[in-house]
Amino acid sequence: MLDVGRHPNIKLMAYSEVEEVNGEVGNFRVKIKRKARYVNEDKCTGCGACSEKCPTVVPDAFNEGLSTRKAIYTWFAQGIPSTHTIDTEHCRQFQGKKCGICQKVCQADAVEYDQKDKFVELSVGAIVVATGYEVFNPNRIPEYGYKEIDNVVTAIEFERLLSASGPTGGHLYRPSDLKVKEEVPALEKSLKKLSKALERFEKKYGQKSEEFYKALGKEEQGNDPDKAKWAEAYEQKEEVSKRLSEYKAILEKMDVAKKLAFIQCVGSRDIRFYPFCSGYCCMHSIKEAIIANEHEPETNSVIFGMDIRAVGKGFEEYKIRGADHSSITYVRGRVAEIIQLPDKTPVVVYEDTMERVVREEPFDLVILATACVPNKGTKELAGILGIELDRFGFFRTTQANPVDTTRPGIFVCGCADSPMDIPESVAQASAAAARAAQVIVETEMKKAS
Amino acid sequence: MSRDILVIGGGIAGIQAALDLAEMDFKVHLVERLPSIGGKMAQLDKTFPTNDCAI
Ligand SMILES: Cc1cc2nc3c(=O)[nH]c(=O)nc-3n(C[C@H](O)[C@H](O)[C@H](O)COP(=O)(O)OP(=O)(O)OC[C@H]3O[C@@H](n4cnc5c(N)ncnc54)[C@H](O)[C@@H]3O)c2cc1C
Ligand code: SF4
Repeated sequence: MLDVGRHPNIKLMAYSEVEEVNGEVGNFRVKIKRKARYVNEDKCTGCGACSEKCPTVVPDAFNEGLSTRKAIYTWFAQGIPSTHTIDTEHCRQFQGKKCGICQKVCQADAVEYDQKDKFVELSVGAIVVATGYEVFNPNRIPEYGYKEIDNVVTAIEFERLLSASGPTGGHLYRPSDLKVKEEVPALEKSLKKLSKALERFEKKYGQKSEEFYKALGKEEQGNDPDKAKWAEAYEQKEEVSKRLSEYKAILEKMDVAKKLAFIQCVGSRDIRFYPFCSGYCCMHSIKEAIIANEHEPETNSVIFGMDIRAVGKGFEEYKIRGADHSSITYVRGRVAEIIQLPDKTPVVVYEDTMERVVREEPFDLVILATACVPNKGTKELAGILGIELDRFGFFRTTQANPVDTTRPGIFVCGCADSPMDIPESVAQASAAAARAAQVIVETEMKKAS
Repeated sequence: MSRDILVIGGGIAGIQAALDLAEMDFKVHLVERLPSIGGKMAQLDKTFPTNDCAI
């Protein structure tokens, strides 16, 4: 990544989009929108003083919403370029409220609220499309309870939970416990406030709140508004302290997730959604189970799938190593449903098709291996580029010309073409680069002759 | 006629294509819609089957 930022032959335009493409191979005219970051790229040193002081907290999309960032932010810590960007949808200044803090604290004078989008026009001989993919939204399979059951996450969310630079520093805490942990400070604050209110009443009437409440007939409350308020505050305090002690009990027992279920083909190989195999997800489930076991050697994982597709150099061996050394069990069967116990434990309901029995098994955490699906905006980009999509919505190619799109001079590589892993994406990228170079050289030769 | 090349998308595929072309001495314009390049790979902890770090 660093090399791209530094290479003298590469002009990097991040936070930008292609708006218009005209012309033909050898001579495309392209209009690019450079979206305003509201931070001057040349001045910003990436020091982070602005985000530290920014009062606006927003879910962090890079961490799949499992942590928060500020309204002025970098996409991720080691990102290139490291320039900060203002998220105008959330920024107080842009939402018409008084703020301007980031501009005040920026030593480099880089924050520019009046920046405008810029448009760049280019002339290029060839185009390589590498716009990648998106993961399938598991909400489309309601039986799996994604977002309803806290301890059901997607594989990409799980990557962030495993990461040392992720929201939990690589500790596999269950999202349900993290939620509880997050709520405790607010509850403590509200308890403090309510206790103070009660104290005031106690002083005024010279009676303990508990005694007052016990002695109080319900009808009386309506008669004296002040006492009704006292009773209400007392009820609220009881409620909050009960919840707080429940939460504290949960946190005392809080431990990392050690029993993991991986559910394969979520959206893939499913005629309701995408009939194709996404190719890499069996492997990333094995990888995630191996890493979880490295973090915590007591971790056991069950991978539920129709079969495990470990096609590639060293992949089968990796799968076997997972079973032999990382406590992975492979179960053949499709999961019918995930349900939740009152203590937030997810239970996987499945048929073991080898043994032909339906079983239910509780886990600490369930991870969904979601399908690789066309990226947002692919259709619009295809329109701009004047190229066709296939029936699933990926860019159309043919088996004989796997990196050529339907328009001469425009090539595609990586998951924008179809699901593939990193080594395949890299190989295709080199192929697309070679094809792009080839058409330019050919056009030059034609012109010369 | 232009010798420049446009690469759209700065994930691992776009990065590789841009570097290859730059090394062949073509001028490359790499357009990424997010604030930084890296794509999905930047979000991965480690990669199979070697468990190397993703970034
Ligand atoms: C949970 C999970 C774990 C994985 N683990 C592994 C692994 O261990 N090993 C492995 O080999 N593979 C793994 N993969 C697969 C890997 O993520 C892909 O093979 C790889 O990221 C594909 O790279 P790409 O560049 O094609 O796409 P992407 O990484 O999606 O990059 C596309 C880029 O294009 C940008 N873009 C999109 N649209 C536009 C537009 N209109 N204009 C400008 N820019 C745009 C995007 O913002 C993005 O930066 C995993 C996948 C998942 C879901
Ligand atoms: S790679 Fe595995 S999980 Fe992914 S679609 Fe294919 S079989 Fe299903």
